[in-house]
Amino acid sequence: MKCAEPIERETETPAALPANQIRLPMGLLGFEQIKDYVLLVNPAEAPFAWLQVEANVSLAFIVIDPFLVLPGYQPNIPQGDVEFIGLKEPNDALLLNIVTVHGPNRATVNLKGPIVINRVTRVGKQVILANASEYSIQHSLPVAETAA
Amino acid sequence: MLILSRKPGESIVIDGRIRVKIVRVEGDVVKVGIEAPSDVPVHRQEVYEEIQLSNQKALTRQSSPLPKLTAVAKAKIPDAGPAAGPAKKPSLQKA
Repeated sequence: MKCAEPIERETETPAALPANQIRLPMGLLGFEQIKDYVLLVNPAEAPFAWLQVEANVSLAFIVIDPFLVLPGYQPNIPQGDVEFIGLKEPNDALLLNIVTVHGPNRATVNLKGPIVINRVTRVGKQVILANASEYSIQHSLPVAETAA
Repeated sequence: MLILSRKPGESIVIDGRIRVKIVRVEGDVVKVGIEAPSDVPVHRQEVYEEIQLSNQKALTRQSSPLPKLTAVAKAKIPDAGPAAGPAKKPSLQKA
């Protein structure tokens, strides 16, 4: 339905979500029902950040900027996803890749399926790259040896 | 499920725009060629399943300790605002 003029001023703009609130309308693969997240960035924890489940703050995914892990990373985002996320240009995209901690000495990052977020609207989607076959789902991170 | 018999070289057309061609049959391996518009994602089913499993394994308690890395730059992830941007960009497929 189209209105000639906005009825409620508060909802007039489809404004961006508050800072660092991330909406994934399709959820994550395997977690399709969880759509709202908060991106927690603490400089002391760099290069990691937390993608926290908004409805359950004890649950989170560890994420990392993939370009720090693999400077030659060349993710190719399929056209349907570009449209879904509303990306007008590559600069609009924030990429976060999910880290799995397997144990004290092993952690990997999924480079096949980055979470691609529109920086302007903070709406995103976990995308399977068009060139997913070039990347590993368990790309090893250089974890420092820790004393057992 | 619709089941069709096809010989090598024969095709199936879906929705007038997606063509699935049986390219070759070698023992128990069937090579399938797929022509689809660029807005139709085509992936092996295993990729979806792999990512689902990977996500499930990655879900963590926020109190979990973060791994200590040796070689990765410690740049902080930019806030999700429009101004900040990483040095590298993804490539976006166009129509």
